Amino acid sequence: MKRTALTARLIQLAFIAILMAAWHFSTASGSISKLFLPPPSAVWDAFSRLVVTGQFWSAVRVTLVTTAQAYLIALVVGAGVGYLVSRSRFLTDVFEPVIAGLFTIPITLFFPMFILFFGIGTGSKIAYGASYAFFPIALTTIAAFNSVEPHFLRAARSMGASRREIFRHVLVPRTLPVLIGGMRIAFVICFASVLGGETLSSIAGVGRNIALSAELLDTARMYAWIVFVVVTAVSLNFIATSIEQNAAAKGNVS
Amino acid sequence: MSSQASDSRPGDRSGSPPVAISVRNVTQRFGESGSAQDVLALDDVSLEVRRGEFLCLLGPSGCGKSTLLNIVGGLIKPSSGAVSVNGKPVNGVPMPKDIAFVFQESTLFPWYTILENFRIALKFQNVPKAEWDGRAMAALEAVGMAQFAQHYPTQLSVGMRQRVNMARGICVSTDILLMDEPFAALDEQSRMVLGEDLSILLARTGKTIVFVTHSLAEAVFLSDRIVVMTARPGRIKTVVDVNEPHPRSPDFMLEPRFGELRNDLYAMLRDEIRLAMAAQREQAGAAPR
Amino acid sequence: MSAPVRSARSYAALVRWTRVGFVLAILVLWEIYGRWFADPVFVQPPSEVAVAWATKILPDERIMSALGLSVFEIAVAYVLAVVVGLAIGLAVGSTALGRRGFFPMILLLYAIPQVALISLFVLLFGLGPASKIAFGFSHGVFPVIMSVVSGMADAPTLYIRGARSMGASRYQVIRHVIFPYMVPSFFVGLRLAMTLTLLGVILAELYVSTAGIGYFTRVFAENFNPAPLFALIGSLAAIALIFNECVRMAERRLSRGREALRR
Repeated sequence: MKRTALTARLIQLAFIAILMAAWHFSTASGSISKLFLPPPSAVWDAFSRLVVTGQFWSAVRVTLVTTAQAYLIALVVGAGVGYLVSRSRFLTDVFEPVIAGLFTIPITLFFPMFILFFGIGTGSKIAYGASYAFFPIALTTIAAFNSVEPHFLRAARSMGASRREIFRHVLVPRTLPVLIGGMRIAFVICFASVLGGETLSSIAGVGRNIALSAELLDTARMYAWIVFVVVTAVSLNFIATSIEQNAAAKGNVS
Repeated sequence: MSSQASDSRPGDRSGSPPVAISVRNVTQRFGESGSAQDVLALDDVSLEVRRGEFLCLLGPSGCGKSTLLNIVGGLIKPSSGAVSVNGKPVNGVPMPKDIAFVFQESTLFPWYTILENFRIALKFQNVPKAEWDGRAMAALEAVGMAQFAQHYPTQLSVGMRQRVNMARGICVSTDILLMDEPFAALDEQSRMVLGEDLSILLARTGKTIVFVTHSLAEAVFLSDRIVVMTARPGRIKTVVDVNEPHPRSPDFMLEPRFGELRNDLYAMLRDEIRLAMAAQREQAGAAPR
Repeated sequence: MSAPVRSARSYAALVRWTRVGFVLAILVLWEIYGRWFADPVFVQPPSEVAVAWATKILPDERIMSALGLSVFEIAVAYVLAVVVGLAIGLAVGSTALGRRGFFPMILLLYAIPQVALISLFVLLFGLGPASKIAFGFSHGVFPVIMSVVSGMADAPTLYIRGARSMGASRYQVIRHVIFPYMVPSFFVGLRLAMTLTLLGVILAELYVSTAGIGYFTRVFAENFNPAPLFALIGSLAAIALIFNECVRMAERRLSRGREALRR
């Protein structure tokens, strides 16, 4: 199936190329207002200016650091809670639906509360991002640990394994692939929510810059930021899916 | 319900108590009494397994033979009754130094290589690290799988995996081996070959083996004694002797004695099997005949 | 600490009551903390929030009409997402060209974090409901397309080949073989689409802080007025829960008798 993956990739790249060409030609003819869709050259100029003046890196650094902190908190708390809940059938039956149900409400709703508690600095975005990413991590952890086949646990017990040995040699290897999948989803959610928080209300970071340039009607700069975010996200997605496809091809666990 | 004849077998560990496993009045209930899920799995079962013998637990599905095996092995705490292994009481706690299990599903961990599986099993059983590789390779050679030590379980066929599974069960050198339908997932040819290997193993090492199966031919071919169980709730219906020394050759299956024994077993089991099937139908909601 | 297994019914009741008890315990702790320990500028107890809801939210026409507008935007965005998503999904999933040619492009678009585009949407569609509906639509349409296409791919080739060998036309194959397999997956997509549409609309609403919900949340937050802020957020959360429940009820009604296809 590697050939279909390859053709899919090529189509995606061709699609991007066509979009870029369409952008160039539609703006070159002058029929579209420069405000709504500036030509690629203007956007590129705005981007270079951002890099040269150092605005680019300082904003990116803020967003990345915020995301990292939020993600770390979500990982520790989410995996911890998830593992503890998964230890008992009763706890799972009680709490898993609560967590899953809460997750269907957009946590974005609570963003103003975070602003109220933590102000418009990075603290509110860290808390907001961590709260959002907590859910997929906790849910994935619960599901992963509950899905370990009982016959592996029984065999280990019958061989006299201690609880720590079972955790290290049975639970962790068995759940790791699923956990990593959940961690990937959680990272995307964490990054998107930090970005969203910065866009809604903040003093620094990539999201703030997008919103600010929109406010100032400096659309070239806004597009520069948007293109940067989109390109980064799509590239990371490319890399992640390629890694996944490679791992699947090698015929991993079970 | 145990007969008195005591044989001496080659490789017998003289000096150890003649009774390896003692089961006295074991009753097993699942679910809270009076509730819809109350199940009496085993009803007042008593049994003695002699050292060095191959004992089969034979019965229809749901008769509690696996439950009994798990109780003996310390994986389940009996609702009432007493079990002792090598003179020590067993009460819901596994005894990895005395008992090794071989299960129906391959419990080889798919995330470790074959050799790593052995090492981890020996580590669980607190065997000193220096002995790990030696024991692992010896056990693998005994089942003819030594060249697959670096493979992953998913790279082997089902038959090969069960062979390695068995090897893992013997590499710890416990004197008792409990096997829960280990060949159920294999095709008939693999079953026959592995059965022969098991018989050879028994003759060579003098292990005590308790083997759960629902195959009559397998029971007759492998066992010294066959414990025939009733449909749920499980009781011991009778115990049949098979007088034939180990290692057993495939010619044993051609002797008229073999067929007679098998037919006797079937006669004993037929009613129990029908009872078990009726119970299953009732559970699935169909009207009883 | 594991409860003994009684009959199935009393276990389910135990689970339910424990859950209720847990939520009540949280409310009680919040009440105690809010009333006696917390800085009232940051945290207000649930009783105050309820009071604020009754006195500041419910009677305020502007807030209620903003909430009503949000409900309208969510509903419109969702219906659009479902209808358009279904159409695109069917079109893409029914031909090899669609599956191999167009689907990768859709996957590419799906990978973009849409939150980066909110400023663009507002720039293009204005500060009114149009941008909120558009943003909600653009969030919700993707899961519908994905679930329709993947559901169609689920149909076992065995049955497709069987139908073709009996002379079925392409349309008949889609209608009678592929469609029933698409439906369960479609319903899963519907649920996810609601969650994402809610996200899109609410995000857009919060972004436009000059009117609508975004205005009031900003005002309450800036003035350190936690009680009405909690009350407003709570109302929106309730709206979100109701919408989700509606989707689930619709799914249950429409999928009776579809269990036969459980593989």
